[in-house]
Amino acid sequence: MSERISNRIFDIVIVTCVALFVLFCLAPFLHVIAVSLSSNRAITSGEVTIFPIELNWNAYIQVFSNNAMIRSLGYTVMLTAATTGLCMLFTIAAAYPLTKGYLKGRKTFMVIIIITMFFSGGIIPEYLLMRDLRLLDSTWALILPGLVSPFNLIILISFFNNIPQSLEESAEIDGSSFLRTLMSIVLPLSMPVLATLALFYAVGRWNGFQDALMYINSPELYPLQLKLFQMVQNNMVSELTQMEGANRTALTPESLKAATVIFATVPILLVYPWLQKYFVSGVMLGAVKG
Amino acid sequence: MSKASYLKRYWQLYALLSLPLIYFFVFRYGPMYGVQIAFKDFNLFQGIAGSEWIGFDAFREVFNMREFYTALRNTFMLNFLDLLVSFPAPIILAIMLYEIKGAWFKKISQTILYIPHFISWVIIGGIVYQLFGNQSGMINGVLEGLGLSPIPFLTEKGPWLVTYLFTGVWQSAGWGTILYLAALTGVNRELFEAAEVDGATRMKKIWYITLPSIKPTIVTLLILNLGKMVSIGFDRPYIIGNTAVREYSDVLSTFVYRIGLESGQYTLATVVGLFQAVVGLVFILGSNYISKKMTGDGII
Amino acid sequence: MTVNANQKVLKKVLGIGLSAVMGMSLLAGCSSNGNADTASNGGTATNGGSKERVTLKVEIFDRGNSPAPYTITNNYLSNMIQERFGDPNNIDVQFVPVQRSEEVTKLNVLMASNTDVPDIVFTYDSSVFYRYAQQGGLTDVGALIDEYGPTLKTFLGEDTLAFGQLEGQQMAIPGKRAITGRYSSYIRQDWLDKLGLPVPTTTDELYTTLKAFKEKDPGGNGGKNIPMGMALAPAQFETLIYSFIKPIKGDLTYGQRYELPLHDGFKDAMQFLNKLYNEGLISKDFSLDEDKTQLAKDVQNGNIGYWSEDVDNIFYADGTLDNLYKNVEGSKLTAVDVLTNANEGNKHIKSRYASNGMYIMIPKSSKRAVEAIKYLDWMASDNNLIDIYSGVEGENYDLVDGIPVVKAEVSKEFADRLFNAGDTAIISNGKNIGDQATNEKAWISGFPERNQEMLKQSIDIANTDTVGPIVFGKPIEAESKYGTTLNDKLAVIIVKTAMAKPEQFDAVYEQEIKDFMSLGGTQLKEELEAALKDL
Repeated sequence: MSERISNRIFDIVIVTCVALFVLFCLAPFLHVIAVSLSSNRAITSGEVTIFPIELNWNAYIQVFSNNAMIRSLGYTVMLTAATTGLCMLFTIAAAYPLTKGYLKGRKTFMVIIIITMFFSGGIIPEYLLMRDLRLLDSTWALILPGLVSPFNLIILISFFNNIPQSLEESAEIDGSSFLRTLMSIVLPLSMPVLATLALFYAVGRWNGFQDALMYINSPELYPLQLKLFQMVQNNMVSELTQMEGANRTALTPESLKAATVIFATVPILLVYPWLQKYFVSGVMLGAVKG
Repeated sequence: MSKASYLKRYWQLYALLSLPLIYFFVFRYGPMYGVQIAFKDFNLFQGIAGSEWIGFDAFREVFNMREFYTALRNTFMLNFLDLLVSFPAPIILAIMLYEIKGAWFKKISQTILYIPHFISWVIIGGIVYQLFGNQSGMINGVLEGLGLSPIPFLTEKGPWLVTYLFTGVWQSAGWGTILYLAALTGVNRELFEAAEVDGATRMKKIWYITLPSIKPTIVTLLILNLGKMVSIGFDRPYIIGNTAVREYSDVLSTFVYRIGLESGQYTLATVVGLFQAVVGLVFILGSNYISKKMTGDGII
Repeated sequence: MTVNANQKVLKKVLGIGLSAVMGMSLLAGCSSNGNADTASNGGTATNGGSKERVTLKVEIFDRGNSPAPYTITNNYLSNMIQERFGDPNNIDVQFVPVQRSEEVTKLNVLMASNTDVPDIVFTYDSSVFYRYAQQGGLTDVGALIDEYGPTLKTFLGEDTLAFGQLEGQQMAIPGKRAITGRYSSYIRQDWLDKLGLPVPTTTDELYTTLKAFKEKDPGGNGGKNIPMGMALAPAQFETLIYSFIKPIKGDLTYGQRYELPLHDGFKDAMQFLNKLYNEGLISKDFSLDEDKTQLAKDVQNGNIGYWSEDVDNIFYADGTLDNLYKNVEGSKLTAVDVLTNANEGNKHIKSRYASNGMYIMIPKSSKRAVEAIKYLDWMASDNNLIDIYSGVEGENYDLVDGIPVVKAEVSKEFADRLFNAGDTAIISNGKNIGDQATNEKAWISGFPERNQEMLKQSIDIANTDTVGPIVFGKPIEAESKYGTTLNDKLAVIIVKTAMAKPEQFDAVYEQEIKDFMSLGGTQLKEELEAALKDL
């Protein structure tokens, strides 16, 4: 009896904690939505909190009637899908052999990879490399430089390592090739982490724009976040924009900025709920039993 | 085993590995010659090869700058506090989510919890000022309404640190749970049933079943985090920081931005980068070694 | 079981990934075709010149504000330039976009690449210009301007050109600034009327007025009452500081903001700011408000009695002034020139812009220096500058007394033509039509009619007793080395000394200045003083 009560209390405490944190996380997002739906007068006067004031849809009408914006969304979706696919392919290809303790040179390879987490050539040599590979101003410039994240690779290796060796060994004794073991045992058992890493790559690509700043000149190849960045930065008053004097450009209205934020964020937010179905408990268990 | 038969047996593994390795050599090691800049008086127009060697002069210059040490100290301080506060937060949150039984509530909260990760720091900065400002901030407005004196959340060291940590937890805890939740799918539910029979309390079950099953993930992430002790993102300290707390919010990344990008002193910026890289490598290899000794888990 | 199910999923995922990759290569193909199209676009127009057609690459700021259907590289102005300048001269003008906020980073990389750098690049940042010149990356355009740019030379004039000269060589072509006035101040006339106070005319009177605003709260704002609006932005603190410092040389002084602490009178300015802060006369949160958002908010909600701003800032349609009048019934604003400088004969000393705009540079690696000068010369010729700035007569503007006056009602289609006018007309900052008064008239005409009268008063105030920057004709090395650090430090000095307890002011001030000097201030001071002697 008392145990049931303490269980109940435990549940209530946890649900309350999580619910509170959820509210904290939701509020700023609601604020951005409220801003996107309010009049500019209300926004610049600081009246908007989490409810729209002088509600109107003008900002969204403006965003959705901008063809370049819509096209950029389509392009970014494609770019993100392609990047994620390739990154996963390369990361898996690197992670699996590196879980094999007996592989000669494994430690050397690991060190080679870990070094790249810390050392890099810097922005100018990287640009020159892209130029020499003739990748400037092409979609590949946004995909290839980030194919394998050492961070994600190490995580994947750590998860692969948790798969009971007995499973793989039994497959190998069966005469199954490494490739087949990877495809038929290791990967299916790793769906949750694969989904997670795919999400990491997808979100990384979706939110990234620094590379496009450097490598892309054609406006058609601008990812959505770059457009958003331009819009937000356009409103920054810095030392140098001061010097623009009479050439200063009109500021982007806050509501349009907020609407663009929503427009550029909601698509990627939808990815996680969709991936959640791969977070099924007991994958490993089923395999062992089967 | 002879070389030939070793290769015959394992060629597939090497073939798999070759593609990513080519990637690492071309895209990661290809531009690596850029680290030479640290030892050269870099001239943009003469390029790296054409610039003059200056040995360790630039290192001496950096190590003589007082700002460098302030930035280094702050980087350590903020990272250390983050390690204490922001690192455990997603673990706790993930375990709580795992303990929640209602599938519907669980799913929705997970999805909402990771929203802050997608809101850019510029926007977060604006919201933080609206909330925490002295005169205009909502929280201080409420405090004032209650007849309490306002708290200088943003302009004094202690309160500012709390604000900094809070925004960090808020921004990254939900996102950080994802990996732990993935790890938690591997927990053997039968263990819980067995524990139930033994009459274990909820806390006991968490302590003896849930936590050990995500231990490898925790260790891996901890080692990776320790490797980043001297590197720090630019946005959060820059945007949450402000002039009044500059002595605590100036970190290596903002320092490099100032001397490197804004003043065009690539050589000095590269020196700092190289310093961070060496320290980071030592930290990650060292913590890996210690962890292997202590827990058996590691990243290599 | 589970394994099987997941295998299916996996295949699906891999399949999606692969087809996405394939789709991507198609897409990449498309886009490179697209590029070829745009590049050869101008080439379709035939012309008689026997010379080989060449490409002139020109930098353009991308602010992400291109209205559909235009893009930053293909729009009304780029087409006009191709048609009027490119085709007749057998030149393809190709615009290379550089993100406004990342211009220096990108420019450095482009410069280092040698191959990709546009033939015409520019920056507002003098230290970037000096750095490029010092490292030997720029073309000396002196002779080229004489030969190919006579109109350009006349347009800019010797005074402006001097900003681009280093050690006697013309390393950059400075744009010409139409309007040099910067700052004006405003007071709530309705507050004054309510209290029966006159408009203050000196710093001391202002202090008394602010005190009255604080005690009597004429706006009825309670705890939100802010007698004087303040932000950690130049328009606010520079106006205050300039009203205390002694200019170095007549109406000229050191040009960089972080050189203000090297002036006599700087301490007085900080002391006054400290007093205002501690007596609760200025915005409490000014140290957090670097982009003036909070200031604008407080003004619009009628919480602020007096403040300084960029001369044009509040007058835009649906801007600060419009919103204040909408939000606060009976509010009335007056543009005022109050702060008097006791160290400089009680004049209303304030800062003005140098007479140059951006620094236009031709990289040494460029093979199109001649065409580049020709392009700039073309821009200065005939009606071209007006056409770039003002669009089409009758559609975008009417000519009134020879001044292009922006039409009150312009359709979006016509207005969109000019979205990047300011960034395209690089040789001119603002509408350079004739003398300063004419330029101002043309500029004012672009604002809502209801605000034009007060804007005119603001501009008159901004032009009173101004102090401009000294041109040394050589780079100050300490500026490029310590500039950004000292600029940060200046902000710290202002915040720390303002927020110090009055009795601690002296100690804090001494400490901060000592810090400033040790971070490079000493070197800067010595170099500036030496350069001053050489002048």
